[in-house]
Amino acid sequence: MSNKVAIIASTGGLFDAYKVFNIATAAAASEKEVAIFFTFEGLNLIHKQAMYNLEMPAGKEHFAEGFEKAQVPNIPQLVEVAGELGVKFIACQMTMDIMGLSKEDFVTGIEVGGAVTFLEYAKDASPALTF
Amino acid sequence: MIKSDIQLDAKGLACPMPIVRTKKVMNNVAEGQVLEIQATDKGSTADLAAWAKTVGHQYIGTKEEGGVLYHYIRKCSAENSDFIEKAFEQTISNEEITARNGLILDVREAAEYAFGHIPGAKSIPMGELEKRLAELDKEQEIYVICRTGTRSDLAAQMLAEQGFTNVYNVLPGMSGWNGELSKEI
Repeated sequence: MSNKVAIIASTGGLFDAYKVFNIATAAAASEKEVAIFFTFEGLNLIHKQAMYNLEMPAGKEHFAEGFEKAQVPNIPQLVEVAGELGVKFIACQMTMDIMGLSKEDFVTGIEVGGAVTFLEYAKDASPALTF
Repeated sequence: MIKSDIQLDAKGLACPMPIVRTKKVMNNVAEGQVLEIQATDKGSTADLAAWAKTVGHQYIGTKEEGGVLYHYIRKCSAENSDFIEKAFEQTISNEEITARNGLILDVREAAEYAFGHIPGAKSIPMGELEKRLAELDKEQEIYVICRTGTRSDLAAQMLAEQGFTNVYNVLPGMSGWNGELSKEI
């Protein structure tokens, strides 16, 4: 059985962020090796400013209350927990070039790499997930 | 109140935080000790059972009281203790003990005992056995049982060293028990 979990985060909304980080932290807490490849809007999830203001899908804003009531941790907290658990963050170089972003725009400890960097990691990962 | 060695308050936390906290606290739990996780996340029962299975610890059970879920997990080592060789020669099967009149001595942790034991079995956890020998009768047959026969093997050896001669290690132990169970939860 593979002990690696590979996740692609390619969307940048609040719901997407929870899907990505809940699975990632749960897997890491279960002693799996976890890497997330952040590409296109997915980069929002680890962007120093953007991660504080991720948007809910249009028309779903009323869920804000539910998040508060369920005492769900916020995204920056989950990013920190993921980091502590050793989850590897890989930011997509190509997307960063298109958007004019540099490594300093993101939370500390990330790696920057291309598609092949992720593919090499993910080749024997199970499950591999895309959000 | 079920006895545990370490308690973790994860009340009010939503998924995945009860798991994340459990993982962290488990680093400070010694092998064989029981961790109690207090949680209000309703998904935590299924999640912690699955987590324990994945990571290789023993999920003992969950009790709900006053809206709080109390989960019990016993820390196991990386190696599977089922394969550790047993040294105590006098053994007896699960089926045989039901037909005999001796004492069933359950040396698992108190929490394991609480979530299901053979009716009439006496509980003395392995770690307490040495100082509670006075509770046992040297004339009586004693069938020492645990989950897989490993702890009971050690307990049977200790009893033999202390002059108990009618001691048997029960194999395979509670993991293979299909008979009646008493619970104290």
